[in-house]
Amino acid sequence: MKRLILFIICIQFVVLTFAQQVQLNGKVRSTDGDELIGVSIRFEGTSKGTITDLDGNFKLTANVGDKLIFTYVGFKKETVVVTGQPVLNMKLVPDQAGLDEVVVVGYGKAKRISMTGAVSAINARELRNIPTSSVQNALYGKLPGFFTQQRSGQPGKDASDFFIRGVSSLNSEGNKPLIIVDDVQYSYDQLQQINMNEIESISILKDASTTAIYGIKGANGVLVVKTRRGVEGKTKITARYEVGIQMPVITPRFLDSYQTATLVNEAYKNDGLNQIFTDEDLRLFQTGEDPYGHPNVNWNDEIFKKYAYQQNANVDISGGSKNLQYFITAGIFSQNGLVKDFSDSFNEVNTNYFYRRFNYRTNLDFNVTKTLNLRLDMSTRFMNINEPRSVNAVGEMNDFSKMRPYSAPVLNPNGTYAYIYDTDDKNPTLNARLANEGYKRSRRFDSNILFSANQKLDFLAKGLSTSFRVAYSSIDENYRQAARYSYPTYHYDSKTEKYTIHPDKNYAYGNYAINGDQVQSIKDLNLQAYLNYETIIKEDHNLKLMLLYNRQSRTVDKNDYEGAAAQVPANFEGYTSTIGYNYKDKYMADLNMAYNGTDRFGKNNRYGFFPAIGLGYSISKEKFFEESLPEIQLLKFRTSYGLVGSDVAPGNRYLYKQVYERGSGYNFGEANEKTYDSYREGALGNEFVTWEKARKFDVGIDLNMFDKLSLTVDYFYDYRYDQLVVKQDIPLILGIGVSPENIAKTSNSGFDGQIGYQTKIGSVNFNTNFVFSYAKNKVIYKAEAEQRYAWLAETGKPIGQPFGYTFVGYYSQDDINMIKSGNLTTDGKVAVAIPNTDVPVQAGDLKYKDLNTDGIINDYDKGAIGKPNLPSTTLGWSFGAQYKGFSANLLFQGSFDYSFSVVGTGIESFKSQFQPVHLNRWTQERADNGEPIEFPRLTRNPSSVNSAEAYMSDFWLVNALYVRLKTVDLSYQIPDKLLPSSIGSARLYMNAYNLFTLTNYSKYQQDPEIRSNSAGDAYMNQRVIIIGVQMNL
Amino acid sequence: MKLKKKFAFIGLIIILVLSSCNDYEKYPIEQYTIDYVFSTTDSLGVNAKGYLDAIYAIMYNGHNRVGGDYLDAATDDALSSSLKESSVQNLFSGGYTSISLIGGEMEWGRYYAGIRKANTLINHIDVVPLMKTFKNNVEDSIPLKRAWKAETRFLRAYFYFELIKRYGGVPIVSETPYKLGDDLEIPRNTFGQCIDYIVSELDTIKDSLRSIPIADVNSDGHVVTQEAAMALKCRVLLYAASPLFNERPIATDKDAQKPLVGYESYDVERWKRAADAAKQFIDAYPYFSLSINSSTVFLNDYGMNNNKEVIFFRQGSKNTQIEYNNGPLGFSGNNLGLGRTSPTQNLVDAFPMKDGKAINDPTSKYTYSLSDMYKNRDPRLEQTVLHNGSKWLNTVLETFEGGANNPAGATQKTKTSYYLRKFMGGFESQASYAEQLHNWVMFRYPELLLNYAEAINEYAGPSEPVYKVLKDLRKRDKIEAGTNAMYGLNPSMNKDEMRVAIQNERRIEMAFEEQRYWDIRRWRIAEEIFTKPLQGLSIVKDGATLNFNVITVASTNFETKRYLYPIPYSEVVKNSKMIQNPKW
Repeated sequence: MKRLILFIICIQFVVLTFAQQVQLNGKVRSTDGDELIGVSIRFEGTSKGTITDLDGNFKLTANVGDKLIFTYVGFKKETVVVTGQPVLNMKLVPDQAGLDEVVVVGYGKAKRISMTGAVSAINARELRNIPTSSVQNALYGKLPGFFTQQRSGQPGKDASDFFIRGVSSLNSEGNKPLIIVDDVQYSYDQLQQINMNEIESISILKDASTTAIYGIKGANGVLVVKTRRGVEGKTKITARYEVGIQMPVITPRFLDSYQTATLVNEAYKNDGLNQIFTDEDLRLFQTGEDPYGHPNVNWNDEIFKKYAYQQNANVDISGGSKNLQYFITAGIFSQNGLVKDFSDSFNEVNTNYFYRRFNYRTNLDFNVTKTLNLRLDMSTRFMNINEPRSVNAVGEMNDFSKMRPYSAPVLNPNGTYAYIYDTDDKNPTLNARLANEGYKRSRRFDSNILFSANQKLDFLAKGLSTSFRVAYSSIDENYRQAARYSYPTYHYDSKTEKYTIHPDKNYAYGNYAINGDQVQSIKDLNLQAYLNYETIIKEDHNLKLMLLYNRQSRTVDKNDYEGAAAQVPANFEGYTSTIGYNYKDKYMADLNMAYNGTDRFGKNNRYGFFPAIGLGYSISKEKFFEESLPEIQLLKFRTSYGLVGSDVAPGNRYLYKQVYERGSGYNFGEANEKTYDSYREGALGNEFVTWEKARKFDVGIDLNMFDKLSLTVDYFYDYRYDQLVVKQDIPLILGIGVSPENIAKTSNSGFDGQIGYQTKIGSVNFNTNFVFSYAKNKVIYKAEAEQRYAWLAETGKPIGQPFGYTFVGYYSQDDINMIKSGNLTTDGKVAVAIPNTDVPVQAGDLKYKDLNTDGIINDYDKGAIGKPNLPSTTLGWSFGAQYKGFSANLLFQGSFDYSFSVVGTGIESFKSQFQPVHLNRWTQERADNGEPIEFPRLTRNPSSVNSAEAYMSDFWLVNALYVRLKTVDLSYQIPDKLLPSSIGSARLYMNAYNLFTLTNYSKYQQDPEIRSNSAGDAYMNQRVIIIGVQMNL
Repeated sequence: MKLKKKFAFIGLIIILVLSSCNDYEKYPIEQYTIDYVFSTTDSLGVNAKGYLDAIYAIMYNGHNRVGGDYLDAATDDALSSSLKESSVQNLFSGGYTSISLIGGEMEWGRYYAGIRKANTLINHIDVVPLMKTFKNNVEDSIPLKRAWKAETRFLRAYFYFELIKRYGGVPIVSETPYKLGDDLEIPRNTFGQCIDYIVSELDTIKDSLRSIPIADVNSDGHVVTQEAAMALKCRVLLYAASPLFNERPIATDKDAQKPLVGYESYDVERWKRAADAAKQFIDAYPYFSLSINSSTVFLNDYGMNNNKEVIFFRQGSKNTQIEYNNGPLGFSGNNLGLGRTSPTQNLVDAFPMKDGKAINDPTSKYTYSLSDMYKNRDPRLEQTVLHNGSKWLNTVLETFEGGANNPAGATQKTKTSYYLRKFMGGFESQASYAEQLHNWVMFRYPELLLNYAEAINEYAGPSEPVYKVLKDLRKRDKIEAGTNAMYGLNPSMNKDEMRVAIQNERRIEMAFEEQRYWDIRRWRIAEEIFTKPLQGLSIVKDGATLNFNVITVASTNFETKRYLYPIPYSEVVKNSKMIQNPKW
């Protein structure tokens, strides 16, 4: 073996000696096609070489057989052997977990190698192609510790809820992470408005060490976004256009008229009522001979399209000179809704759902002097959301009391609109309503300005600088709606061939009434002043200090009883300081502190002090380690512990004070009643109210080995206390509501991390990355009154634990006979537990466990069932490969260990449309034949034990999991030689989002991320497939 | 710029910013506080009046009150037409527990909130420099502040009474509003203590209130009056004397419950107190009399049309809401009716014939037949229900199966062939509904008369004054006097027979006025009443003839524990001294 190596080295030496010199020319790009500026190219074993210029080009003279090493921060190192070819174009692959990778953290940046906190970061380059309009939707499965639930797919309203490391506050609003964009706080909906193309990178800060600097706002973790900036170089123009289609993830299937009518008859019979459809009716439904008298309409197909279009276009311009750098981007995003176009000659209004967004951003950097740098960022966003006025199309579609497949034809034979003849409210058909009743359009304008000046103060001390920042943002949203209340619809009688007009409508079309109002108007001013000091003492001691003063004032205009008025601004103020020490990247310590407060609380309880410490130790930097385990590039242990706060509290803004409410009162007088304003006592104030606190502990490992494998794992334990909840043990005798108190305690613990692997086989680059997150919480104390039975208690259970009955089977005919014959066992006890309702149970009804064994099923028998709706576990697994100009990336994302249920119009008989699951209902015959029973006896009684709304039980609660092929990204870099010279580079790509979804339940025809206990009438989440092209000019 | 200058410039900005940082408001200046509501400078008491208004607003308007139904739809007089499970249906059938309470009816918290508000006003009103005065039948110049305080105390007493009739004895809370941290583990007071408290409050405030006729009805209509206070006292004493609380309180599980569910021993003198209170009322306020036409009582204020029957009412407004909710189906547009209330055949049968004799009384000069049952009946029947053949909106109602006002199909419509007529405007011969004043009459003179008759009969047996009450009511409602001028009454009834007569008279005179629901409880006859199912008519049209069939529309069995509501579960677990009612 040794000899062989020696031989090869000899050969090489020979080759080298007689090598022929080559004049090399080339260009270095990222796998996305971006030209990389300043890539270092050097000969192996030497420091000789060159760097790429502003266009990513390089020139150098080398010998055939020389090994060239390409290195660039954030990218994998590449080694190339020089052949005789004079052109050498290189593609660098982004490094998933490089040691020198720089991530944004609060008020600054940090290198992965020297970080002590728990931070997950992602370069937005990975996200830009994902065809979703909301930033948070693009982060699924990408970041450890990031939990997401997308509740709706409606264009413009589809942003996911997200949580960092799960939830730990009992305060429903109190679990929202802080969002920081360029060091300025954004709200959830502001984040949703940002175009992904404006973003450079996103980090989430998870532990106390990284969030303590946000003090009173940091307890829920922080999402930090950094926008893109220009770099010195010639002007680069990148244009992108993509177009695609979206379609629902699941298309619900409802039963047709014949099946529905059969089941309706069965239910009437079960309830002891006369059947409402005759055999002749059923025959006509089945044959379809009488399409107007016995319609059979699949309303879902009639109202909704199979797919709708979406488009996205962006232009970025960046570049700059030494003294001025700029990044300018503009984008248009447009997403159409799935409702068909019902406009007719009387209606030229667009009532469909749609979303349009226009983004514009200019980020400028001026180097005014060698020491003074100014920065000006401006961004604006215009948004339009359109939706039908007065109609929740999905909701009505599901609602059996609103429409049935046999209720009316889509249009009458003479082309007029029909109305639903057989329901209580006799509404016009959904298509008629969509055509006629107008639209509601929300229009929103967001604008952000950020001005910053940074002055180096090296003349005072080397490494000292100060900066000052003003950020202003405003949101204005209003809506306009066009409403028509009157238009003719007719019932057509197919026997007499006569038309009857809707009893409440006119023959003439009414005019559209236009109205509108302000929805929100928010102004936010943020001032920050920094002092930074960074120094290296005796070469190895790295010291970083930062001191920040920060204040924020947010004014919200509100429409309420008093009319539209600007409220008193909500103020926030505080100091933050960080001290970072690092010895040779081997030992590191961070001390982060914040002293800040808000005027949410009483005078003496406004300011809190939030310290956190982080320690890190890179054993891989130790000499003995480097020598004995050179294949391990990084092995770092880190831990952090600290205190952070949350100032979110439910209810009245001035919790510390009792506030009286004004409203309409009681009229006195006779002929001319006089109205006076009336005043009511508001909830009792709590002068001691103060922020919630969390003590967070984190311990983590970072490992990089073989230059291929990287691993990060964190374990965390959060103890959240002083939570603001309303005490549950105050009797109503008090006669008034009370403000929340700082009493509740919860714990939240778990682990998260990722394993990445990158390799190169031949000329194919492979990478895979596995992201995992697990978080589990528990209520320790919430001032709950002592319950009559232990199973009724919420303390000790997770936050959001569902409660309900335990399903134990179906009542059998024997049970019913037993109930009728006295319902007593031989020893005088109740034989069959029966629900406390006036609807007598029948065979085939859902039977519940009688937890307190009193023979009656009532509220005392509701115990904890299932799991909270927020998954405890979420995983993401991505695969990528690059070969020459081709690249492919797949991401699977899954959530596990959670429960949800659909109630009311989503599933229950006679509330929901009849669905395939209803075919598997209990009947005596089906039970006797041993056929699968998935649904109780059909009944038209809406509040029987079979109702999920009236009797929530684990029959309805699905312990769910899902796995999605979240994104598929295929792209092809068109070879330069095929392009006209005016185009620098071009890339074609195809991208799919939510391509398929695997779930473990069949009961509901619903997306797995639906809000639990809802009627399942939200706009369905969308599957999107796009094609796009990106060109660098 | 020189370096130092630049530095100075930036430094200046920072100093400027930092120096402007103390602008937090000391307190939320735009919010209303107790000092604003009870202001020392508000000589007209505008804000304090607003606070008082909010206390008035706690009193319920009884129209379609309980989940969209009249409370009486949970008695044998009617049922809800709702196809969905409704609150009154649950009340009727006992579909409630101490956890799942009936909203709109089991309002423990609402009344304690009202009591707290009242206490707050009483404790703070003194600082308001209100100058106005008024006169009543006692004095000529009383500070208005005194009246407001007295009105508030009336309302507080009324809220307590609303609690007591539902729960038995309840905690009488401190008259100083509680603060956070106060001990709220307050035990229930005994039933007797609660009654005594209410009665003494009413007696104390009596002379501080305005009296009827109100001097300026156009600004002060609807206020609590002396007469209202005395009418409430009369009702409270009658309830206290009634069997459920006096003679036969319900059996208890533990001894501690005994004084809570009623008096521990029977005392016939309680009937005497009730009778005396009623007698005093009748004697002290000769202003009141029976109106000429009982059907308009509910449509007018006391100032207008000289309505001398109404004692106190909760303000309503002018609308067609009652017609819309309860009017018969089969009309559209403005005349649309949802037919929410289905009066029962049981109620219809309770109305006597036109000569005052019961329907199947062989001594009646009129004969009753099922197929022609609405002929020659007590005129109040027509004022209470709409039936097949009634005239309404210029139309003859068809409530037979499939008729215009009882269409086939699963829509909300009458379950009994009857619709509610009472409380609605006189739309028999109108083409369409018009807006109609719909106050909720809480106390009216006939109740006082009936209270008196009942109490004196229980105390001393039938006597002339008892007969007079019944005769007066029957006379007013145009029942034929008969040759013996007894209006169909048996002149020689014993106490028990008279009790039945009074109970029936109360039932038909005060149907749907939230009397019967409580009456069958305080009389302790609910168990017996509900052995008979609720009945309706199914009228089937066969060619030109109508076939009348009595059908059962609902039934329940009334468990004894239901005489009192359960104390909310949460109250019992939060307060170790709170004793639950028996068997709940």
